[in-house]
Amino acid sequence: MVFGETSGGIDRRTYLKLAALLGGAGSVTNAAAQDGQEWSNTLEVMHGWTGGDGAEAIDALAEAFGSEYPDMEANFRPIGGAGNVNLDQAVAQRLRAGEPPSAFAGWPGNNLVQYEGVLGDIEADVWDEAGLKEAHTEEAVEACRFQDGFSAVPIGSHRMNDLFYNVEVVEQAGVDPEGIDSFDAWVEALDAVASETDAVPYANSLEPWVVLQFWAVIMQGTQGYDAYMNFIEGEGDEEAVRASFENAQTVLSEYLNEDAPEIDFTEANQAIMAGDAAFIHQGNWVAGAYVNEGLEFGTDWGRIQFPGTENMYGLHIDSFIYPGGDLDNPSPEEAKAFLRFAGSETAHVAFNQYKGSIPTREVPTDEFSPYLTETIEDFAAAEQRPPTIAHGLAVTQDVQSDLEDALSDNFLDPYNVDAVTSRFMEIV
Amino acid sequence: MRDELRAVVERWRDRGTETGGDGAADGDGATKTDGGTETGGDTATDGGTETGGDTATTGEFRSERSRIRRILDRDIVQSAPFWLPPFLLMGFFVYAAIGWNFAISLTDYAGFGSIDYSELGFENYRAMLSDPAMWEATRNTFALLVGFTLVCLVVGLVLAILLDREVRFGRTFRTIYLLPMSLSFIVTAQFWMWMYNFNFGIVNQTLGAFGLGPYSWLGNPQLVLGSVIFALVWQFSGYTMVVYLAALRAIPNDQYEAAKVDGASTLRMYRRVIVPQLKPAMVSASVVLVLFALKAFDFLYAIWGYRPRRGADILATKMIREAFNKQEWAYASSIAILLFALSLAVIAPYLYQQHRQGNL
Repeated sequence: MVFGETSGGIDRRTYLKLAALLGGAGSVTNAAAQDGQEWSNTLEVMHGWTGGDGAEAIDALAEAFGSEYPDMEANFRPIGGAGNVNLDQAVAQRLRAGEPPSAFAGWPGNNLVQYEGVLGDIEADVWDEAGLKEAHTEEAVEACRFQDGFSAVPIGSHRMNDLFYNVEVVEQAGVDPEGIDSFDAWVEALDAVASETDAVPYANSLEPWVVLQFWAVIMQGTQGYDAYMNFIEGEGDEEAVRASFENAQTVLSEYLNEDAPEIDFTEANQAIMAGDAAFIHQGNWVAGAYVNEGLEFGTDWGRIQFPGTENMYGLHIDSFIYPGGDLDNPSPEEAKAFLRFAGSETAHVAFNQYKGSIPTREVPTDEFSPYLTETIEDFAAAEQRPPTIAHGLAVTQDVQSDLEDALSDNFLDPYNVDAVTSRFMEIV
Repeated sequence: MRDELRAVVERWRDRGTETGGDGAADGDGATKTDGGTETGGDTATDGGTETGGDTATTGEFRSERSRIRRILDRDIVQSAPFWLPPFLLMGFFVYAAIGWNFAISLTDYAGFGSIDYSELGFENYRAMLSDPAMWEATRNTFALLVGFTLVCLVVGLVLAILLDREVRFGRTFRTIYLLPMSLSFIVTAQFWMWMYNFNFGIVNQTLGAFGLGPYSWLGNPQLVLGSVIFALVWQFSGYTMVVYLAALRAIPNDQYEAAKVDGASTLRMYRRVIVPQLKPAMVSASVVLVLFALKAFDFLYAIWGYRPRRGADILATKMIREAFNKQEWAYASSIAILLFALSLAVIAPYLYQQHRQGNL
């Protein structure tokens, strides 16, 4: 037995060296594998991608990881449920019980604050060793910084300031989407849809987080990047907040689908695909559904930047977070190897092309769809990248929850602009 | 029942003295006459007292023995095997947990750190008073409680009276009405989500046939609580019906006949003669219903998750949101204590009344 094991180790080492030679360019992550390191623990990664494009993406990521680290036992554990709710709860339970996973999926940025004390620092072992600080875009690097080090690695980014539309419906209404360059112009377009077609001008859900991201993009588009950034930093201008709510109310009270209070965004998106509605504002995860339905970018559906945010990229980031700190990570070496990999070009290409998100580092775009290629180019060219307020980047988890409460209490039909404005000013 | 129990306890007590005596005898090793115990339990009493007399040489020893015996003889000790295990289990898992929860509510525990008990205070309770969402949740909780319980009682009563009148297929109907209660909230919530669906739900379709609606049953803050209450009534009126039906069946037929002979109309008979006799059934049913209403959390969570539509947020959903969404453990604990106090306020008068009537 002993003999068998030893010879197995030698074989593997030789094999890996050969593989590295054949493979040519040995990336940093490959170098770790070349050392012939023994992996004694199982890697356990908790994530929430259980279905559709998310499941395909994590499978692709797991496969790519497996071929780079064939000797490591890895368990990618999916936790079902929309919007990471069940995942967050399952992770919280594990952390409270003192039995953290090796790593878990979650939003970086202010979302990390809630995990104070139970996250480990991976600056030296992951960020420096794999050279991720130079490779990733500045905002993504900053978002993963926590306390005096780093506790997360970005895996991809969804765009938050796309305004999607059904090409046929807007043509029927005689609207040229490319010509919509301001909020007022958009309202005129909505009017045209209402009067010229049977379609609903603006489809969406009235779930609080959806309204929150809608308000945020209006704030960015009508009041500008600085006004938005001041608000999330706690120095918001009340007039700007109020004006954004008034604009949101205009759209929601006059152009929205009637069943919005009851449906979720995927159902609203169905209306867009079926030609029953003209516009929808959502994170670009909805584009995955267009692709799955076989709809053509440009001929069936299109997108513009939300009016007023032409030079921005609304930033959302998904990441893998490293538990540690007061808790013992069950497999620190394996987790760090995985996180170094997660920040690599291979991982970002494998994951994002299926997820419908884009890498937070520069990658060749030939694997990506025309729409995502366009998004990648916009991301690189954007002058400003305002962090999303509805997905953990801009504000902490409890503030985000309070904002959603405030919307739920005051702004989801009937629309009480004064009440919600003063609550927002109080909370942030 | 009670008398029987007493008899059992008496018997146990006798048995206890007997074994006590035997023990003393064996301890001294004086007699082996106690072979009697082996042959027949009944004769052992004699042997016991006899040997006891033989061996008790010192008075001190004797009084020591008797004191232990007296302790062992006490009812509470004798019955310990019956009440102690459940008492410990309940005490630890229920009452200690409530106490611990109260202790947490006095701290400022949040996030993933450990609990700091060094500074205790009623901060969370003060915060509750100034939290507008708390007031709304409390109001909704009460509206749900009262609306659900009353409607359930009325619907259950009507169903029970109809079934009690020997209608054809009465048993079948009884099963049909009771069936929803056997389903979990998760299942019924899904049913009603489909039925209340704005576009395709059967409720709006039916109303549409009469030219009404469509209404946003689960979306309109004015309607949403009513929709929830209606669904819950559907689920639980079968239970009220069964409770009433049992009580109705216990009323002798003579009374119906007497009322008829006296010339009372059916309506009058029920109003004046039958329904007043259903009061105990009503009280016990409403206590159960109120407790169900306080636990309507499952139903709301199955539809909306952490944050129900405005107008349907109750204390239980608010509590879960504070705890598991915001990690505000201490604040959530104080809401839990409030909820506990409300439950207690409902159940305590009932238990007290039962106690006074000698039913407990």
